[in-house]
Amino acid sequence: MVTSSPVKLWRRQENVVSLIEKRGKILQWTMIRVPATSFMDQAPYPVAIVKMQDGKNMIGQLVDWQKQDLEIGREVVSVLRRLRTEGKEDVIYYHIKFKPI
Amino acid sequence: MKISILGAYATRFGELWNVSPRALAREAMENALKASKLKASQIDALFVGNMLSGILGNQANLGSLLVEELGVQIPAFRVEGACASGGLALHNAINSLRAGQYKTVMVLGIEKMTDHSPDEITSALMAAGSDEERMAGTTFPGVYALMAQAYMQKYKVTEEELASVSVKNHYHGTFNPKAQYQFPITVDGVMRSAKIADPLKLLDCSPISDGAAAVVITSKNITNKVLKQINIVASEVATDTLSLHNRKSFTSLSSVVEASKKAYKKAGIKASDVDVCEIHDCFSISEAIATEDLGFSGRGEGARDIAKGKRTLFKGDIICNPSGGLKSCGHPVGATGIKQIVEITEQLRGMAGKRQVKGAKIGLTHNVGGSGAVAVIHILKN
Repeated sequence: MVTSSPVKLWRRQENVVSLIEKRGKILQWTMIRVPATSFMDQAPYPVAIVKMQDGKNMIGQLVDWQKQDLEIGREVVSVLRRLRTEGKEDVIYYHIKFKPI
Repeated sequence: MKISILGAYATRFGELWNVSPRALAREAMENALKASKLKASQIDALFVGNMLSGILGNQANLGSLLVEELGVQIPAFRVEGACASGGLALHNAINSLRAGQYKTVMVLGIEKMTDHSPDEITSALMAAGSDEERMAGTTFPGVYALMAQAYMQKYKVTEEELASVSVKNHYHGTFNPKAQYQFPITVDGVMRSAKIADPLKLLDCSPISDGAAAVVITSKNITNKVLKQINIVASEVATDTLSLHNRKSFTSLSSVVEASKKAYKKAGIKASDVDVCEIHDCFSISEAIATEDLGFSGRGEGARDIAKGKRTLFKGDIICNPSGGLKSCGHPVGATGIKQIVEITEQLRGMAGKRQVKGAKIGLTHNVGGSGAVAVIHILKN
């Protein structure tokens, strides 16, 4: 599968900066225990739909979480993190994840 | 225009390691043709429903590839709409008859999945999701798990009640000699199976499968002395946002609501007129929500009605998934939408053997792609 063209990553990441440090609340969450190939070494990990302060919904992985953070209404903030595991020759991919505050 | 089904055939579903995609396609098409009492030279075009061949097998151009197995050089098309590829291929085939371009066409659904590891399949299936969902590290079980969480909280439904969907479909699968899993399971067994994405467990999820199914449809007035005439009285499609999180509701699929409303209107029937249906139960939660979106159960009652036996063979009112559904019969994604048509055709012809729904006259198929981004509804009458 062709997924990691540097040009494609650059194009996708153009708007990432504008997404950093935005607050929202967990609307729904689940724990992913059987992930796709490039997320294998992170499992299990929670993924949440987050209601942002501007009213839009986003979906993202939770990071730096404790068990008690996994609840609806928990406040989170978007942070920039290394996204997944790349091959040795690939460009490292950074994207938004959500951290409980 | 009257559109009727002639031959209909599904291969066995399962881990068919010794069978190639070409051989699967040939088995399905040859048998559908044979049942139609037609020669390949009487088929005007081939429509192929498939999702993953390009991603997993590096094989595109499926129309031209598989028409070789039919042994004639006729126009051939591959149609893709994730797990609804089969239903969408049939919809396009019907439109070609309505347009008058062709008179008699073959529709084939096919998928070969078990050559690959679960994480490769999980990645490949996420091609049906959005970039945002992939970057969030979610999976299809993950997206449906989010719906299950929302559904259970909103309607106070338990994991055991959801598990009863899989239990019912495995019970049905025990009567289907072509099903991937022909053994019963229990609610306790579902509850004890490995977690995939909370609250969904392994036995809430449909399997990875190989399989193919084919139907021949015609706008001609061909009477087949052996087979009872089955008409397709509605074929409707609707779409929704690709991502779940951009929708207003996580407990209903608006594409299913819209496509089924249009289909009931075209067929001139109400939801309660349906005798038998094949539901796209990719996960237990999918069937619970589908029975509500299709109007069989009230909001929040879908899973509980299934747990009470209202969708079960020999005792329910509207029987759902007599084939065993995706859960027990198997889910070779591109083949599923056509297998559903094969099952309903057999039911309406009274040829479904031990799993026959007595006196079935009106049947429905519900085929969904992605997390509800596309829904295809067909209604069949005998």
